[in-house]
Amino acid sequence: MSASLLAQVLANGLLLGGLYAAVAAGFSLVWGVLNVVNMLHGSAIVLGSYAAWFASARFGVNPFLSAIVVGPAIGLLGWAVQRFVIQRVITAPVLITLVLTFALDLILNNGMINAFSADYRKVPPVTGAILTFGPIGLPLDRVLAAVAGVVVTLAVHAYLNNSRLGRAIVAVRMDRETSMLMGVKVEHIYAVTFGLGLALAGIAGCLMAVVFPISPLNSSGYLGIAFVACVLGGLGSIVGAIVGGIVLGVVESFGAIFVGPEYSVTVAAVLLIAMLLLRPQGLLGRAGYE
Amino acid sequence: MTGLTINGVTAGYGDVTVLQDVSFNVAAPGITAVIGSNGAGKTTLLRALSGLIRPNAGRIALGGAELAGQAPDAFVATGIAHVPEGRRLFAGMTVEDNLMMGAFSRRLPASALREELDAVYALFPRLAERRKQDAVSMSGGEQQMCAIGRGLMAKPKVMLIDELSLGLAPVAVDVLVDALTRLAADGLGLLVVEQDVAVAFDLASQIVVLDRGRVTRTGPSASVAADPAVRAAYLGEA
Repeated sequence: MSASLLAQVLANGLLLGGLYAAVAAGFSLVWGVLNVVNMLHGSAIVLGSYAAWFASARFGVNPFLSAIVVGPAIGLLGWAVQRFVIQRVITAPVLITLVLTFALDLILNNGMINAFSADYRKVPPVTGAILTFGPIGLPLDRVLAAVAGVVVTLAVHAYLNNSRLGRAIVAVRMDRETSMLMGVKVEHIYAVTFGLGLALAGIAGCLMAVVFPISPLNSSGYLGIAFVACVLGGLGSIVGAIVGGIVLGVVESFGAIFVGPEYSVTVAAVLLIAMLLLRPQGLLGRAGYE
Repeated sequence: MTGLTINGVTAGYGDVTVLQDVSFNVAAPGITAVIGSNGAGKTTLLRALSGLIRPNAGRIALGGAELAGQAPDAFVATGIAHVPEGRRLFAGMTVEDNLMMGAFSRRLPASALREELDAVYALFPRLAERRKQDAVSMSGGEQQMCAIGRGLMAKPKVMLIDELSLGLAPVAVDVLVDALTRLAADGLGLLVVEQDVAVAFDLASQIVVLDRGRVTRTGPSASVAADPAVRAAYLGEA
């Protein structure tokens, strides 16, 4: 294999990884803080993609701009779902919340199949330009989407570490009971965190719509990406989601070349199992919080 | 009286009753220590007094505000800070972030927050040196300073401290006792659970003896310390 092909595959992987970081970050945040495996996450991403598609088809607004509205809107939906539905079983074992979010996912996903059909749709190219660096060619849309994915994820990370509410979210993740002694209303933090997680899903959906065709059938694939990136990087860590997403993107990209693109899910699953065997706390994660 | 009034509190977990009809007052300013053997209900008492568990009966009042039955954030807002057993600092957060979490309920503007942080650093200069360090990477004594500082950031009228000296070096205990004495002189009410009875008698002006969930003795430190029954039970004297 030539050096230029290797460089191209690596670049493709990094661009994919930037998007995967955005896909995984909200899922990781919710799992880490609420101890809820949010099965709804993939469908929320698809919902974001559809919203971006409609903004583009009806109003001619490109997904980078519509994300500014779509993210908060889906975040608000997430806040309400947590506040009025998931909160009722939040103290139940993780299996119960998993079944609940799985049911919510079925409802949302089948609702989207009904409303939009399972046909693939595509948002037209935003710039359509190709950047060339010597032998490497990179579509500008993909570069912008990947950079936006990483920037949004880092912005959430900065918010968690530098704001009063953000620190409370981190505190609840570390030690729920002690955060209550600080005067934190945990149910409020749970709703805000779930809202933040789904807002990230909505934005990730807009960014995915720039690059990939849209269908409700994508949701399980997105959930898989979030799951693997999360375990790779370390659960509940935003920076971990970025690292995990990028590693997964690069491994998938090389996997497509060496073992064939039809095995990309297999490659991801092998990576997941290897990680769980060798370093179950993730690349950046802690073994335990308490 | 401006302190904490505990009247007829009965509390426990599910069907298990741990505290039976507990009544006493915590003067503010002043230092009250709770002594008692393992399983006497000392930690359960503090958990009830900060709202982590709801009493089945009884009243908990601070400066006229009735708190029993309310959620922990109401206790914090009214002026009760709880420094839990084992410090329970937020791992992965810096000393300063931990202290700032203590002021969560107060929504302070940045300049006021800075002043309060500086007041804690003046009380415990070691924390100022380590402000950017992961809080749980410090020694036990420094962690206890941070936990007490975090409690102070809530600007409490009464602070509850569970196991002040457990596992700490004697020199660290001296620093903490000195700081708490100064805080009480400045107007703070303190309720300290202390397994080392000698430290409790030395630190507190009032002693509450808890035995199997009941208050068996309350009184000034000197008179409780002189009680032969107390000396036999908690100092191992014949």
